[in-house]
Amino acid sequence: MRAAVGRKGNHERERNNQVRSLYKLLGSWITLSSTGGEIISEHGGPVRTRAGRLNELWARWFTGSRVGAAVGHWASRIISLPQLRRLATGEIPWTPLRKPISDCTVVLLTTGGVHLRTDRPFNLNGDSTFRVIPKNAQPEDLAISHQAYDRTDALRDINLVFPIERLRELEAEHVIGRLAEDNYGFGLMGSAKKLMPSIKEVARRISESGVDLALLVPA
Amino acid sequence: MTTVALGLVKEVAVAARAPRFLYLHWPFGHALGEPGNVVQQRTVLHDMLSMAVSAPRPGLVIDLPYRWRREKYLSVVDWEMPSQAVASALSLPKQSSERSIAA
Repeated sequence: MRAAVGRKGNHERERNNQVRSLYKLLGSWITLSSTGGEIISEHGGPVRTRAGRLNELWARWFTGSRVGAAVGHWASRIISLPQLRRLATGEIPWTPLRKPISDCTVVLLTTGGVHLRTDRPFNLNGDSTFRVIPKNAQPEDLAISHQAYDRTDALRDINLVFPIERLRELEAEHVIGRLAEDNYGFGLMGSAKKLMPSIKEVARRISESGVDLALLVPA
Repeated sequence: MTTVALGLVKEVAVAARAPRFLYLHWPFGHALGEPGNVVQQRTVLHDMLSMAVSAPRPGLVIDLPYRWRREKYLSVVDWEMPSQAVASALSLPKQSSERSIAA
């Protein structure tokens, strides 16, 4: 019995090691040759933080082609599933809405690497910090620092990864009560565990600011 | 606080065990759809708001049925009614416009 448990433990460790080395390999390929930090202006919309040429090609392939998308999905599964299975255990939290949407304060969170262009860009190779984006931010006030997806379309229309203009419209139309003063952007992060302190801090800020509903949008 | 998440990778959405999850089979970087397609973006937001109101139990992942560019998106008629996608996934009453067409 004990031997069986030991074998299972070894097996799991081995698998975790395999996943880790695969992740490292993938990481070194995907994030090769980033020049980091640099911001290029584009046509009065959001700006983007420059990523390495190879990264841009990778990102375009992941986003724009059928095979690339399949590989992107596969990579996303390989990287996040073991972590999620470890971290997302226990009961699923459940808070029903207690008032109509038209009375709710709504906060917007994105993992698309969006932040104010005056703020420090996310580290393109992985960043566990977050940025605050005020509700009145205009597309030209924003930047995208993320290299795991093709940002071409999101730079033309920031609402694809951060629908702040749409939510301002819904606030004006009284569909939602109001959009929260502070909204939040996250960057690319391979390790869910390293993200936890930021997630907890954002959760604390959101619940203290009286938000009723949080909408989460991925890259 | 109530949360609704969008996801572009189905298995990740399921494994995340989030309270309410909407899955879209769309390219990365396009969670709300195509640039400039306001109706499409509002459709997805309507689905998110509907999910916040109507999801009956934790951990539900709904597949949104939209076929990327081949879909014709219609303006939302009534934001207080659940969206058609969420309503049919949860077997709720549909938008009045659809009802009248059916009748």
